[in-house]
Amino acid sequence: MRRFLATPAGRALLALMLVLIVGVVFNADGAFFKVGTHRDALRQASVYGILACGLTLVVIAGGIDLAVGSVLALVAVCGAKMAIHWGWPGPAVVAACLLIGGLCGGVCGGLAARLRVQPFIATLAMMVFARGLAKYVSGGMKVSTAVQNADGTYRYVDVPGLFRFIDTRILGDNVSMVSVIFALCMAVAWLALAQHRWGRYLYAIGGNEEAARLSGVPVIAAQACAYVASGLFAAVAGLCQAAQEQQGDPETGMGYELIGIAMVVIGGTSLIGGRGGMGLTLLGVLTIGYLEKILSINAVPEAGRLMLTGAIIIAAVLTQRRKGT
Amino acid sequence: MRTQKPHWMGTLSALVLLGGLTACSPRQEGSSGAAAADQAARVFTVGMSQCNLGEPWRVQMNADLKAAADKHPNLKLVFKDAQNDTLKQRAHVEEFISAKVDLIIISPKEAAPLTEPVARAVEAGIPVIVLDRALLGDKFTCFIGADNVKIGRAAGQWIKQQLGGQGKVVELKGLMTSIPGQDRHNGFREGIAGSQIEVIFEADMKWLEPEARKEMESALARFDRIDLVYAHNDPGAHGAYLAAKAAGREKQIKFVGIDALPHEGVAYVKQGILDATFLYPTGGAEAIETALKILRGESVPKKIVLGSRVFDKTNVNSGGKDLP
Repeated sequence: MRRFLATPAGRALLALMLVLIVGVVFNADGAFFKVGTHRDALRQASVYGILACGLTLVVIAGGIDLAVGSVLALVAVCGAKMAIHWGWPGPAVVAACLLIGGLCGGVCGGLAARLRVQPFIATLAMMVFARGLAKYVSGGMKVSTAVQNADGTYRYVDVPGLFRFIDTRILGDNVSMVSVIFALCMAVAWLALAQHRWGRYLYAIGGNEEAARLSGVPVIAAQACAYVASGLFAAVAGLCQAAQEQQGDPETGMGYELIGIAMVVIGGTSLIGGRGGMGLTLLGVLTIGYLEKILSINAVPEAGRLMLTGAIIIAAVLTQRRKGT
Repeated sequence: MRTQKPHWMGTLSALVLLGGLTACSPRQEGSSGAAAADQAARVFTVGMSQCNLGEPWRVQMNADLKAAADKHPNLKLVFKDAQNDTLKQRAHVEEFISAKVDLIIISPKEAAPLTEPVARAVEAGIPVIVLDRALLGDKFTCFIGADNVKIGRAAGQWIKQQLGGQGKVVELKGLMTSIPGQDRHNGFREGIAGSQIEVIFEADMKWLEPEARKEMESALARFDRIDLVYAHNDPGAHGAYLAAKAAGREKQIKFVGIDALPHEGVAYVKQGILDATFLYPTGGAEAIETALKILRGESVPKKIVLGSRVFDKTNVNSGGKDLP
């Protein structure tokens, strides 16, 4: 037991357990024990979680991706335009959105890996650019089911099937589709990271880039691919966000990159790179997701929520660091 | 006006708007004899500084201004977007002064730091119309804005009437650290005062739809009976509706929002999603009207308080109903 608690996974699990105990104690008149509360907590954490999948890959390779929140918004806006306004079929929308996300990630990857721009700067630039592009594409307005005609009047279209599909629930109303999508993303990212050669490259690059290069790891390609993957996950998250909002809001996803990074770090993946994993990120996602939900069902005022969240992030990260992992 | 998020990121659209806009009015120095005729033919340049274009409501304000100005070929409107940066907005005013525009319209981010730059514009002989948020003192030409307390109170009274004076209400607040959030909250509490209406759950949703949906899910998990949701803006009410719909409880709950943008709140009422929305007017048309009066040399009141309208299913197709 003690040995287990000394591992990163053990500590991340400990943090999650502590948060869940807080939930049991402050259960908001039993609301915490309802199935719906847990389904909703998972659904709410899912969009952040999908971003965290991509971020984990980038962070393990020693990089950072600040652009995911903006890319999410860009894809939400473009996806809403294609699905709602242009009436494209679902698969076409998904493919086009993945292309947009992949392109954004590709530019970041090219800048960071090939042109050696610091990842922080490269992705910061993309964060600003993609947000601007999202506003440009949408004209600063939300892309919603109220479509403006040429004469300024509005007509109302149905919520597209793709959005309905993503925002539905399965298994007797007990699991949100968004959470299933998150689980799939998690599985794909885990396979890539833990089972594929590329994953081992990422660990090697994050651990010691020079050593990796000398041992024949294709550093530039592997690193760039991490950003592309992050862009693809951001695109999936963007579609989930648009489907849940039933619109594409150019302002959505503001600050999500920081929540995603916090989830990765709380899980125990090191920001320096080379250490971590998808399982840890899953624990981090659940910890922050449940924390948010518990604060929300107890209707804790905003000021208290921010302070508590900050304190818990620090506490969790400090536990991670103890006794030299 | 409402959201207090840090908007330090540059927006591409803003850059496009700003591109090549160095306001320089072609002042025609007419001889004194032809002054009257010259006045009629002259093109007036009006500088407009918007505090940010991140909020749809402010995008709408600019659209309203443009639509009103387009009807007057002798008005040239120059838009600038301060991207929620007070100092940028201050620079806008200074740029307008040095470009010698004929009139400035400003929708300021905050009162204190912008009061003095605006006063300097007035001293330089340029009339200034202040839109939505007020400045300190009286060194401006005219203030045009709506009253959030009044709108909140009207919403409270409408809710009291709809619920027959009793019921369980969820209040999804904008941001209680923002003035509009406080006003819409206080007005609402005044409006329902003296009734049996109980606010069983209240939370900040930061003016954001996804946040509103999350908070509403928590309220639904906690309370088996909710009669009505009052949200401080329409996206908030819409988010609450989506949460209730996912729980299959949207039919038992009424949803009320504020702002009534044509493509947002009003559209939601038409679609039967919201039960009512209250207009928070942008004042765009009124600002242009007032600007023309000032430029013609007519006198205008120091303060114009805009009226609000309620849109519910009985009147939404006829354009809403004026509030007293």
